[in-house]
Amino acid sequence: MNFFKLIGVELQKIRRSHIFWILLIPVILLWIPTLVNYDFIMNPATEGLSPEHNFFIQSFMGLAWFMFPASMVVCTVLLVQTERSHGGILKMLALPVTPAALCAAKFAVLLLLAAVQVVLMTVCYYPCAAIVSHLNDYNLILSPLFVLREAGIFYLSGIPMAAVFWLIAVCVRTPIFSMGIGLASIVPSVLAINTKVWFAYPMCYPFYRIMILMNGLPNGDTHLDLIPLLPMAIGITIVCLTGACLLFGKSERR
Amino acid sequence: MTFQLELKKLKRTGFFPAILGGGAIAALFPLLNTAARPEMFTGQPLPALDILMNANGQMIIMLNLCLAAIGACILYHTEFSGNAIQKMESLPVSAGKLFFDKTVILMIALLAALVIEHIALAFCALYWFPEQSGLFTALFKNLEYTFALMIPPCIILMIFSSLCRNMWITLGAGVICIFTVSVLPTDNRILSFFPFSLPFQTLAGAEDSTWIFATLAGCAAEIVLTVLAEAILLKVRRRYA
Amino acid sequence: MNMIETQNLTKRYKDFTAVSNLNLHIQKGRIYGFLGPNGAGKSTTMKMLLGLTAPTSGSFTVNGMTYPGDRMRILRQVGSFIESPAFYGNLSGEENLEIIRKILGLPKICVAEALETVGLTEHRRRLTKKYSLGMKQRLGLAEALIGQPPILILDEPTNGLDPAGIHEIRTLIRSLPQRYDCTVLVSSHLLSEIELMADDVGILNHGRLLFEGTIPQLKNHAAQMGLPVDNLEDTFLAMIEEDNRNRRDAR
Repeated sequence: MNFFKLIGVELQKIRRSHIFWILLIPVILLWIPTLVNYDFIMNPATEGLSPEHNFFIQSFMGLAWFMFPASMVVCTVLLVQTERSHGGILKMLALPVTPAALCAAKFAVLLLLAAVQVVLMTVCYYPCAAIVSHLNDYNLILSPLFVLREAGIFYLSGIPMAAVFWLIAVCVRTPIFSMGIGLASIVPSVLAINTKVWFAYPMCYPFYRIMILMNGLPNGDTHLDLIPLLPMAIGITIVCLTGACLLFGKSERR
Repeated sequence: MTFQLELKKLKRTGFFPAILGGGAIAALFPLLNTAARPEMFTGQPLPALDILMNANGQMIIMLNLCLAAIGACILYHTEFSGNAIQKMESLPVSAGKLFFDKTVILMIALLAALVIEHIALAFCALYWFPEQSGLFTALFKNLEYTFALMIPPCIILMIFSSLCRNMWITLGAGVICIFTVSVLPTDNRILSFFPFSLPFQTLAGAEDSTWIFATLAGCAAEIVLTVLAEAILLKVRRRYA
Repeated sequence: MNMIETQNLTKRYKDFTAVSNLNLHIQKGRIYGFLGPNGAGKSTTMKMLLGLTAPTSGSFTVNGMTYPGDRMRILRQVGSFIESPAFYGNLSGEENLEIIRKILGLPKICVAEALETVGLTEHRRRLTKKYSLGMKQRLGLAEALIGQPPILILDEPTNGLDPAGIHEIRTLIRSLPQRYDCTVLVSSHLLSEIELMADDVGILNHGRLLFEGTIPQLKNHAAQMGLPVDNLEDTFLAMIEEDNRNRRDAR
């Protein structure tokens, strides 16, 4: 059984789950206010920030601080519930697939769903930027190189967080606690980005990146210190994924 | 009678521990925030409670709304997961009463969380701020006000929960509603009546008593409307089920 | 040759023993009826054979392979039906089978075959959460039969079916060893049902094996014990009753 095939199987399981709409609606909600208050974008709150950067950052920040992490919590609920609600997991465990591979495939689906949201966000950016540019008579469209690069960094910065949420969803079996811990851990990221040890808190990575952009773009310094962020992020991801793979399906096999 | 049954159904779901625990976490915000930098807050020429609410209110309320969303999910998830709702529908219990009982349970649990948070606020005010008169009256008023404004979003979350069999849709819809608040412009008076924006209208941020009265009146109107909406939805669902 | 063999297989939960020192011998190409009242430990035994729960002590072999070392190889050869309903409610019957087919790496035609075998072809596009109990049961069977595995482990496959359905499934199971050359372990709490399906019987009560052998051997055994033999259902009930009495006396 090839791993990609297993991912295909996992994707088939979430058919008719309506998850696409839950990923799409917040993206649309994000762009509507920018279209309604189009003149607002011309006066950035941050000194020295150009309107085009302001437009990009305002929208991505809305996604980064709450909705992107919260969407992932919702997706973990989806992935876990489809498996448990009608005992589907029992069938899976009685088939010749290792639980760890199953768990890894599900995590891959989670990453894919996160990617869908970031792609939707990026795809919506262009028409919205074009409309607002037209309304303001000012070119707000940034070069695709910048947009794609930042969207890519944004996505990558969300991976450690996804791993943490996945570990929570796998090992906390009471749904209210797994959802609660997930959502509750998002809110303090506002505090976390202002501390020196922000890199120890994966839920704030995407938010932190956008903050760096907002404060750094006016003077052209958007450099992100990769040490100690990178080792920390990779460490967290590996630990969480290993933990999730080891624990997956454990209680069904008691 | 049915109310006690509803409480019993929540056994082992972790409903109360989760909401009370969430309340305790929310209570930590003002404590940690003030402990970390007391000089930033104590110097301001405002009543202690207003300063604390301005600094931490947003996060506390955000967390409370998240708690309401997951609480609502669980209240109906117990019905749907084992198809118990079918049994309920075949018993002489009205679906409306079921909804009412569950909503009341959610409100009580959230009230408990709010009380925990207000105890933390009181502690902060007494410990770090200079002696002041009328603190407890202000706290009590704030508690009542915040609680009242939490009712409309809670009812809406319960409506989602009662309509969607799949928990992730309930949760997703709730989370999207909470998120919508953060994209709405804050300076628009009409938009502040959006049910999920209501709880963010603190007493500290109110302009005058007319403002407070208008907010409460809007809140009452929304309660009536949402309850009516649920009543109609239940009827429609029975007809087309 | 024994296809499935257990050696002192035991499963203990905190305060009670679900299965105690079980020694089963299931021969190749035969249907083995696993009989016992509710809660006797039939499902627990079957779950252990599938590696869904680990034995507290003892061991077993399936087609010469041992657990836990060969778990994946065992699962590849075993079609199972456990604790129905196990399916994805948001998918149609066909899609549920498709998932299993992909995991087992079987050719596409297997799905249609399995659907046809259990008589679900006309309902294949319906969502399984809308299935009736009998249809869910049939889907569970199709999930076990897909790809014609050499070993089948079926836990009360006729539960919830109507008399016609029971007869149909029974005939189907009866025909399996000849059709696919497979070995079947099927459980039930009705002796009358096992009598019609199985070549060999194993009777389980409170986790202990009371009898193992063919139906004629069972009759002999019962006669020797002074139990009624005219009606096998009575024999079974008397055997269980006797065992329960002995257990009480021992305590």
